[in-house]
Amino acid sequence: MSPSSRPPSSTGGTGGTGGSAARPSGLIPHDAHLRCDVLVIGSGAGGATTAAELAEAGFDVLVVEEGPWVDQDAVVPFSLEQMDRQYRSGGVTVALGMPSIAYTEGRCAGGGTEVNSGLYFRPPLDVVEQWRHDFRIDGLDLDELGAIADEVERTIHVTTVPGSPTPASEILRRGAAALGWRHSEIPRWMRYPPGGDAVTGRRQSMTRTYLPRAFAAGARMLVDTRVDRLTTMGSVVNADVTYGDGTGRTPAGLIAARHVFVCGGAIQTPALLQRSGMRRHIGATLAVHPTVKLTAAFDDEINVPDDVPVHQVKEFAPDLSFGGSASHAGLVALALSDEWGTFAAAIEQWRRMSIYYAAITSEGRGRVVALPGLRDPLVTYHLTGRDRHLLRSGLARLALLMLESGANEVYPSFRGAPVVRNRRDLATMQHRFRASRAGVMTVHLCSTVPLGEHGGRCGADSFGQVGGTERIFVNDASLLPTAPGVNPQATVMAFAIRNARHFADTHRPGSTAPRSTT
Amino acid sequence: MVAVTAPVGRGACRFRDQPAPERYDLGLLMRSVPSAPLVGPFAERLLVLDFPALPPERRRAAIEFTFRRIDGLPSVMRLGVTIIAALVRAALVLPRRDLVVRGLAATTLPLLGEYVRLLRSLGYAYVFETWPDTRADGSSGAGSAP
Repeated sequence: MSPSSRPPSSTGGTGGTGGSAARPSGLIPHDAHLRCDVLVIGSGAGGATTAAELAEAGFDVLVVEEGPWVDQDAVVPFSLEQMDRQYRSGGVTVALGMPSIAYTEGRCAGGGTEVNSGLYFRPPLDVVEQWRHDFRIDGLDLDELGAIADEVERTIHVTTVPGSPTPASEILRRGAAALGWRHSEIPRWMRYPPGGDAVTGRRQSMTRTYLPRAFAAGARMLVDTRVDRLTTMGSVVNADVTYGDGTGRTPAGLIAARHVFVCGGAIQTPALLQRSGMRRHIGATLAVHPTVKLTAAFDDEINVPDDVPVHQVKEFAPDLSFGGSASHAGLVALALSDEWGTFAAAIEQWRRMSIYYAAITSEGRGRVVALPGLRDPLVTYHLTGRDRHLLRSGLARLALLMLESGANEVYPSFRGAPVVRNRRDLATMQHRFRASRAGVMTVHLCSTVPLGEHGGRCGADSFGQVGGTERIFVNDASLLPTAPGVNPQATVMAFAIRNARHFADTHRPGSTAPRSTT
Repeated sequence: MVAVTAPVGRGACRFRDQPAPERYDLGLLMRSVPSAPLVGPFAERLLVLDFPALPPERRRAAIEFTFRRIDGLPSVMRLGVTIIAALVRAALVLPRRDLVVRGLAATTLPLLGEYVRLLRSLGYAYVFETWPDTRADGSSGAGSAP
């Protein structure tokens, strides 16, 4: 059973490029047996940067991505079609708990960088310093990390929007200014055409930056390929893979590598390690930024269906942050659905509405558990009492900010919520709020394989090598010891590059043994 | 299982020439059970309840979308949804079915409430993304295609 003679199609599926006009040079056909120096599993912020660094250092790199290659121009951002093609399970994934927390994972070439808002936060050095101390991370040089962040910012073209921000973004700025709250425009990894405005940018995601760099240095890539299990045999790690979307009798293959970097994100990475027999401090400390949301209605048409606001309010950071979400009509209806009996009429004014969120840093933790016989892991999350209190106060402050910005009506997303029209209604809203009734969600998933030398807490060493293994590394958001309080993608990239460079410094391409570091 | 020698990168190594990796059979089994018979009746009545004027062909399209998404759920969720959907489906054979549907639609019980929320989320998102000018009762808004 060898599908090697089948070339990648142009419409997704086996080896698909999902509508890309030109097939990326590094994509290779599925094959029953493949070999490489370094296998990189996952092609998001961690995987793509790892692949580029190691390929440029001379290693024979093979990248494996579970989802398809989808060109950015092939789908409307934040649409259901994009969720179908670029998100795991169409975006319907949940961490079970009281309440359950909806989350999303990118499942495509480039991972989450293809589907997120593209907002960029430099690694928060105070948080990183805390990690170094609490988790005993060796060799973590903050200046080095800052220098790497500078490089990343040049590569992915971090910039602010040209001209004025969108009306939905201006609302955040205006409300915060009226209250005297700290706020700022968050730069994005975007390129804007000459004379372009806030909504004409092209996201400089991994398929436009680090993956092409990796290909130029000789890296190869398989898409629509899932790694089921890793097995170490002497000096080689074997990866059992299945090709296709995994819904039927799909062809299987084997990839033999000297070293493996698992970069599947904070859910899939621990699940794969557990399926492969690695469980010590793997998957037990999932950290997220839980968010609650509301929809605010204004006099004017402020809705921008396929973009997100670039302003954020950080007055109460790191505990609380406020920002804006994508707000096309389907998402507005979704945000109103928890109290549809009361809120339904508002949907007819969706062009005057936009969705905003309050995100918290959570003391709670979750678990990722690979269960025998099930393809996908069980994910759970437990909010603490402090988390619930923060969600309540966060939603109330966000509603106040909306009123100060001129909102006529505010529709909080929880069952039993009142329409908020004035400050008196805010008290009613706070009284009625229960986290268990709210549509809590998150897009920031971290910390399932914390790095460091703290034996009681860390699943990987200070450079991502999985405990008890010699050839298996993690290099994605799983490594971050806690949720950093800001969008973690830049932090993930900086750590991934640091770790990849350390690997390149201590191993030779084609070699079975690490170089001496003395 | 046969051990063979094969080159890796620029060196040489051994790897197993092994059969196809173990399939996660329960997960695949769950995916092979279509959601439509269990989810369909309640999902349709929920949409009728929430959008009484939604044209039938739109309602059918929204329900088809709901089936597709549920069929693609992660294994654990799919298992849970199948169990709850079976219980709800059984409840619909009780007399005074409309009252049962209204009761279920308003429930805040943990798992049952999550199931209702899931169906609503999928249906609402599909209807309003596909036909953004749909009115609150589900009727076609001015200028929207039928």
